[in-house]
Amino acid sequence: MKKSCPRLLLCLAAVSCLASAAQAWQIADDRGVWVTFSQPPQRIVSLLPSLTETVCELGQCQRLVGVDRYSNFPDSVRNLPQVGGGLDPNIEAIVALQPDLVLMATSSRVAEQLHSLGLKVMALEPKNHADVRRILEKIAQVLEVPDAQRVWRVIDAAVSAAAQSLPASTKKTRVYFEVNGAPYAAGESSFIGETLTRLGVRNIVPVSLGPFPKINPEFVVRANPDVIMVGDRNYSGLQGRPGWAGIRAIKERRVCVFTPAQSDVVVRPGPRMAQGARIMAQCLLDQAL
Amino acid sequence: MPSIAVSAHAISASLGNIEVLHGIDLTLPAGCWTSIVGPNGAGKSTLLKVLAGLLPHTGTVTLLDQPLATLPRRVRARQLAWLGQNEATGDDLTVWDIVMLGRLPHQLWLAAPSAADSAAVARALRATQAWDWRGRTLGQLSAGERQCVLLARALAVQAQVLLMDEPLANLDPPHQADWLAVVQALVSSGKTVVSVLHEISFALHADQMVIMAQGRITHQGACADPLTHRALEQVFDQRIVIQALGEQWVALPCVVKASQAPPSVGTGMDCLLPPP
Amino acid sequence: MTAMDRQQRMASCLGVGLLLASLVLLLLGASVGSTGFETVFKVWSDPLAQQIVWDIRLPRTVGAWSAGALLGLAGAVAQGLFRNPLADPYLLGSASGAALGVALALGFFGVSPLATEWLVRLGLTGAAFAGAVGAVLLTLALAKGVQHTLRLLLAGVIVGVVLGAFASLAMLMVPEVTQAMQAFMLGSTSFVGWSACALMAGIWLVCMGLAWMLSHALDGLSLGEATAASLGLPLPMMRVALVAVLALATGAAVAQTGLIAFVGLAAPHLVRSVAKTTHGRLIFLSSLMGGVLLMAADMLARWLIAPQELPVGVLTAVLGGGYLLWLMHRNSHPSAAQRS
Repeated sequence: MKKSCPRLLLCLAAVSCLASAAQAWQIADDRGVWVTFSQPPQRIVSLLPSLTETVCELGQCQRLVGVDRYSNFPDSVRNLPQVGGGLDPNIEAIVALQPDLVLMATSSRVAEQLHSLGLKVMALEPKNHADVRRILEKIAQVLEVPDAQRVWRVIDAAVSAAAQSLPASTKKTRVYFEVNGAPYAAGESSFIGETLTRLGVRNIVPVSLGPFPKINPEFVVRANPDVIMVGDRNYSGLQGRPGWAGIRAIKERRVCVFTPAQSDVVVRPGPRMAQGARIMAQCLLDQAL
Repeated sequence: MPSIAVSAHAISASLGNIEVLHGIDLTLPAGCWTSIVGPNGAGKSTLLKVLAGLLPHTGTVTLLDQPLATLPRRVRARQLAWLGQNEATGDDLTVWDIVMLGRLPHQLWLAAPSAADSAAVARALRATQAWDWRGRTLGQLSAGERQCVLLARALAVQAQVLLMDEPLANLDPPHQADWLAVVQALVSSGKTVVSVLHEISFALHADQMVIMAQGRITHQGACADPLTHRALEQVFDQRIVIQALGEQWVALPCVVKASQAPPSVGTGMDCLLPPP
Repeated sequence: MTAMDRQQRMASCLGVGLLLASLVLLLLGASVGSTGFETVFKVWSDPLAQQIVWDIRLPRTVGAWSAGALLGLAGAVAQGLFRNPLADPYLLGSASGAALGVALALGFFGVSPLATEWLVRLGLTGAAFAGAVGAVLLTLALAKGVQHTLRLLLAGVIVGVVLGAFASLAMLMVPEVTQAMQAFMLGSTSFVGWSACALMAGIWLVCMGLAWMLSHALDGLSLGEATAASLGLPLPMMRVALVAVLALATGAAVAQTGLIAFVGLAAPHLVRSVAKTTHGRLIFLSSLMGGVLLMAADMLARWLIAPQELPVGVLTAVLGGGYLLWLMHRNSHPSAAQRS
């Protein structure tokens, strides 16, 4: 009896050690860098609007302590301290907030600097629908939020619902989405293009041209789209462009101009993609023949 | 024909914040060649620019009995030709085009060159031996040849008065002699020539000499006058001596033997001179 | 035949050659686009092909020529006015002014309906033109007139740098405009229509007339400022007029096609390497050369990765930079004609 006590204590100690070791986990971000967590981060700084929205979509908005100046959804994040932009963040401000996780885009160069200052940095950048799902689940894993798949299913179902709300006649609509006036178009392989594909309409810019090609304006004239979608910021009078007056969408005035708030939703690859799909679906319904 | 080509009264001029000329009065006779000499920094080029109307100044300048300030620009350009130093950058123009620019004061606005213009340009080119280069561009010529071409440009204006700043720069001795011949031909045809020269021996070939020091005129007189020679030696601190060489006067630098004391004022006899 | 007559013949030959090249490139330019040559053959049968060739390709090609002609003219004037072979039309800050104008216009789109309505009416071209001319006026004010060429140059550099910094700041504050701004700064003939061509052609006629009348002043300036003044040239008035020509020509070109590099710098050099003439002919030939250069670059920009487009400015920089490299290489091995 007296001899089994120390052995029991030893077993208990071993089990508790193993248990605590099992609680530390590693996750790779989009750069391939492994980040180790021993407990879920409670103070998060986000430098990319879509990542801010993802954290809030998972119900963890309260863990955000700082955001970049372009994060504007949901409204509660506007009261948080702003630490600069994604490409030009204010390092001092970030460090002063003492975060235990900084989320940023892969195209940002400050990851090394923040890492050398002892902060945990994860670089994630969603560029298409699959990325949105993957990053949603990854962040859920980091924050230890259970059942991220359910969140995704809700989003996905809402997108499908938006697609089903369109009558069959819109399936033949050919759409041109202009990102800015250079002109840069949104191709099929871009995030916007994928949403349009889910809605069942056709994009005049094929996959072969890439996600955001700078196209020759006569390409649009030749393709003769039925509907043109453009952001308010970039709407600089399409009718005045030479040769464009004959395009069907312009002759029949089937041009959707999105407000800046709507553009944010439509263009950002994030958890509001269902709302973006609804906006575009509404546009197609309004401009239907 | 006025007997005074250019006269200046109470001229003061500044370069930047420094006053370079202090109250200068000057009368240059017509039909003569006057050379302006003096040590570095005496203000010779500044004075010449003021006489040409190219620098702001206080006081009055008169050209051929007319106040320069009220003379219309083109009238002044026809009567006064200027030859500066180190100014031209038009390496891509042909020699003919450059010399033809001297006819601008005579040409109507936008008019093509007339036969008289071409004749004047041809005469100027032949006078400076630049006729053979008339098809070459300025960038293809040596420094001395460029100087000849620019002189031809000044001659092409056919002005009554020519003002030349360091016209002998870059010229080799034969071309310097040619320049002398050109000036003497001009003067014998009744033109007035005023030149700023560093080469004192050449300056002594002129009819009149104006000696400047520190922004003031110290002496003006005939080049053959011994008073002028003494004034010249004095303004150069007795470092030169004027000697006769045949019919000419030459200025020689005063070379002193190392063991000798520097020469005293007024004598000029301690310099090592070649035997007469 | 004397050397002078030979130079004159070279100049005339060059002029004729450039005009012929312009015609050839015009035909080629009408055939190049997202669809290719067959569109031209279908012009009579297919109304869509007709619209593409007539409403889009031809005005773009003619517009490229006009913009290149304006830039070539401005380059020759700038090099003569500043007596510097490295001068280009953007020396007085007009490039940065145009960039700032476009950045502000793009940034204010969508901010308010009133702003958007006015901006649509003014157009990006109007904003660019206003910015370019405004920058030159600012340079003149800073240099207190055109008396001193060096002060004018310095003021131009300062204005260019400061306004360029503001344009970059605008791009940073409103990142949505960054891509459109970059497209503008690299140049493109995307939306040049017949009205734009007519405007550019009109301004070209005015500027060419003025510059030709002032060509004597530029020739005189090459002899030096003192000599030019002594020849009776009214230098201050001529300088003001030349700066006005510079601002107008550059502003008009930049407004329609964006900031296109090297055309203004290289065109006069190309002309001078063939024929040495006075400024009267040099400015005209330089204008023709600029037109041909930009037409060729625009055609390549539309053809290389059709139906996508390269920015024209990239091609002119590559072609122009290549030419300057070759020029440097040739000058480092001087010919026998060059004497000390």
